[in-house]
Amino acid sequence: MTDVAEGSAAGVDESVVDARGHVPGESSMWFFVIGDLLIFAVYFVGYMYFRSQHQDLFLQSQARLNVDIGAVNTVMLLTSSLFVASGTAAARAGNSANALRAWAIAFAFGAAFPLLKLFEWIPEISAGLTPGKNLFFMYYFVMTGMHLCHVALGLVIMCFVIRNLKTSAQPKISLVETGATYWHMVDVLWLVLFALLYLMR
Amino acid sequence: MSGGVATVPRSGSEPAKSWRTNRKLDQWIAFWSVPFFFNLFGLVFVPLSWMMPPRSPSSPTPRIVDFMHSHNLLIACVILTLAYGLAPVSNACYLMQVKRMSVSPAFRYSMMVGAMTGAIVGMLFPMFCFGLGAFRPGYSTAVLTMLYDFGYLAFIGSLGCFCVMWMAFGLAIILDENNILPKWLGYYTIWQYVTELMAAPVWIVKSGPFAWNGLMTFWFAMILYVSWQFIVYFCIFKAIKNQPESEFA
Repeated sequence: MTDVAEGSAAGVDESVVDARGHVPGESSMWFFVIGDLLIFAVYFVGYMYFRSQHQDLFLQSQARLNVDIGAVNTVMLLTSSLFVASGTAAARAGNSANALRAWAIAFAFGAAFPLLKLFEWIPEISAGLTPGKNLFFMYYFVMTGMHLCHVALGLVIMCFVIRNLKTSAQPKISLVETGATYWHMVDVLWLVLFALLYLMR
Repeated sequence: MSGGVATVPRSGSEPAKSWRTNRKLDQWIAFWSVPFFFNLFGLVFVPLSWMMPPRSPSSPTPRIVDFMHSHNLLIACVILTLAYGLAPVSNACYLMQVKRMSVSPAFRYSMMVGAMTGAIVGMLFPMFCFGLGAFRPGYSTAVLTMLYDFGYLAFIGSLGCFCVMWMAFGLAIILDENNILPKWLGYYTIWQYVTELMAAPVWIVKSGPFAWNGLMTFWFAMILYVSWQFIVYFCIFKAIKNQPESEFA
């Protein structure tokens, strides 16, 4: 594993890139993304196992979640990812002004996610649906909480990308691509979480 | 601990090659204290006292009392009392490499304070709790049950202190421009400290995957942590080895 990661890190700046196709962003970020997806996959398998053990409890508890806010949040993240993609394309084409605008809009949609999460969590917690209620709510708060940490880190990374686009005459494309890679991962994780926790019957 | 260093033959004619004048000697001593420390820990926690893997938080009271009064737990506490002082030495090997990075000293100080607070809550508190049970047989069962809870919760549920320490370490690696440690190790460290945060639910539930002996809070975190510890150790070894002599001039 270590050798593979180092080997590809050394190769990115060399001519290997042209031969094998371009690796977007920094390769260490791809190491992170793939590992993070694996870790979440293990958590999802654990969730599915315990769900099959207590199917009725999980179904009854799931019915008390706020699917509307969950769906709106899904749309927020997907829209945000769309603007990230178009912003990255604009940055590659050398159009910094368009890239900056797209990333700023993407940031606004991304920042709406934690706010909506508050409107979702506070009524639930005040209604007594806390992590201590049962196993489903423990999973719900731990997994969405972990995802929220990823969103928070993603917003910080977006600020760095926006600063890069705003202040430098020659923006670092690798930083833009690294940020985009991370943000798309946050999006993918949410899609799986939304399906598993809110929708699966 | 220093066996490998001591066997190097001394040569009076060439003092420059003597092991005592090796400019990395301090780092190597700190480095080799790590496997010594962890092996001792492994022996004490697993086959000697069976404190680890964690006993069930919902064990019946007689089993808790038996455990708290067992002779093996007493011997374990004796060894831990004597050996805990190695923690500062072993943490020095990380800090000396972080010192070489281009990042602000704030990262190093955060690591230091995180390691200190983590050691107090995560190592000394459990040692006092289990030591009180083992050395003072007069306590009532209610007190012993509380000490058992206190000891395990401090040991497993206190990881927030270590979390900040490794967060500073991971961020320092990612932001460092001298490339002292590989960037992917910084990302690996992020997973490690995030899974430590996952231990928070042990305060809430006493059975299932989120109890202190559960699949999510203990076993997954342990798999990530142990593999991370080996890899970080290997990377620190390479970093010390590659450190140019000119840095010591």
